[in-house]
Amino acid sequence: MISVTPISSHTENLDLANLSADKTALAIRDLSLHYGEAQALYDISMKIPKHRVTAFIGPSGCGKSTLLRCINRMNDLVDNCRVAGEILLSDKNIYDKDVDVAALRRRVGMVFQRPNPFPKSIYENVVYGMRLQGVNDRRTLDEVVERSLKGAALWDEVKDRLNESAFGLSGGQQQRLVIARAIAIEPEVLLLDEPTSALDPISTLTIEELITELKEQFTVVIVTHNMQQAARVSDQTAFMYMGKLIEYADTNTLFTTPTQKQTEDYITGRYG
Amino acid sequence: MDKLNMSRHISGKFNDELEAVRNQVLTMGGLVEQQLRDSLRAIETSDHELAEQILQRDEKINALEMQIDEACVQIIAKRQPAASDLRLIIAIFKTISDLERMGDEVERIGRVALESFNNDQQHFLVSLENLGQQVLVMLQRVLDAFARMDMNAAIDVHQMDAQADRQYEALTRQLMTYMMEDPRGIPKVMNVLWSARSLERIGDRCQNIAEYIIFFVKGKDVRHVSSDTLRQTLTGQQ
Repeated sequence: MISVTPISSHTENLDLANLSADKTALAIRDLSLHYGEAQALYDISMKIPKHRVTAFIGPSGCGKSTLLRCINRMNDLVDNCRVAGEILLSDKNIYDKDVDVAALRRRVGMVFQRPNPFPKSIYENVVYGMRLQGVNDRRTLDEVVERSLKGAALWDEVKDRLNESAFGLSGGQQQRLVIARAIAIEPEVLLLDEPTSALDPISTLTIEELITELKEQFTVVIVTHNMQQAARVSDQTAFMYMGKLIEYADTNTLFTTPTQKQTEDYITGRYG
Repeated sequence: MDKLNMSRHISGKFNDELEAVRNQVLTMGGLVEQQLRDSLRAIETSDHELAEQILQRDEKINALEMQIDEACVQIIAKRQPAASDLRLIIAIFKTISDLERMGDEVERIGRVALESFNNDQQHFLVSLENLGQQVLVMLQRVLDAFARMDMNAAIDVHQMDAQADRQYEALTRQLMTYMMEDPRGIPKVMNVLWSARSLERIGDRCQNIAEYIIFFVKGKDVRHVSSDTLRQTLTGQQ
């Protein structure tokens, strides 16, 4: 067989079912979740590879945001929420009793749907996490601000007004500022919960471009309602429906030849 | 059963657009089939008038190809089709390109009907007619398979091509022998040879369309795979 150079620069497809430990960022095993009597997640098992973008898609209420929030234990804050099963981060179950949740959230950062900058200057927003960790050395903080804002593709736009209020930025800029704040403390995993659904199309594309760059340094997990966005930015996609993981495959395959009928119906816009 | 599952999009307008473009492809296929059938009849009956009509009708096929192309571009731009919808559009794009080229081949076959042949040469026309009938059946079946998106029917068509190829080779040998025996008849015999070549090419293009149908149904690219291994890999049967 004659081999030809692939046309797209798309990353190679991984064998997701048999991902080796050194390539796995997160291993989710038999994860179930109840809100009171209602079960929101059913026996989810999947491996999320390192330095890749993994997207969760599915209709409203399918459990994709719930699953995302399990990864940094945001669901602990919800009353009556019970979690069974495990999520391994570097071989350690994050639901073990001895896990320090604050430390976990330093390793697993999160960005939400609506930009939520703090009522502080741009500079102070970025270094907020560092200050919490007790870092106050000006030179260190300056470096972190520049590196993080560059990493979030915002530096050129704000470098001359770092001490102005973050609320003076546009929605898209605010969202990139929040991403800068999240990556300032150098987490291993970055969770993005519909990061562009409140943004205009141009800001959305800027964030998407940024996501592709972020995976060089971090493992990115994104929840999105926008299927085309999942198709554009992710390397692998998980389709969820009614709390179950229906199909998990590399994005190229899932969007051209899904194996499950429910996936096919969802991504082609048919009734499920 | 609605095998294509076409009528179940949430957007009714998207349903209509896909259905319309698919119907256009079938119309185009029907025209090509009609052209091929007429060209064979024109040769058989030496009907010069019919042969002239065939040459004119090819324009309609060309126009249809452009129209369907345009409709597919619109669908891609506005609907961003995914999965089976995307595969359908891709299959249509390729199918109509092959149908248009078949139309051109038929035009060439039609020109043979404008020639007059002596008694010695008549029996070539019978062989040509046989090859033509074989290819016509392939075309009918592949269009039928396309209408139903029937993978097994497509595999059958794929395998019929080998027989058409054998008939073509036999006819070629026959014509070469004749040319060696009677060099004066070469110009006319060459026309028969070109027609046979065109028919053989139409068979190949039917095989291509069969491959697009398989691509639509299975999502697998089966180009450049032999017919023998094809059925095995797709259905697990010998």
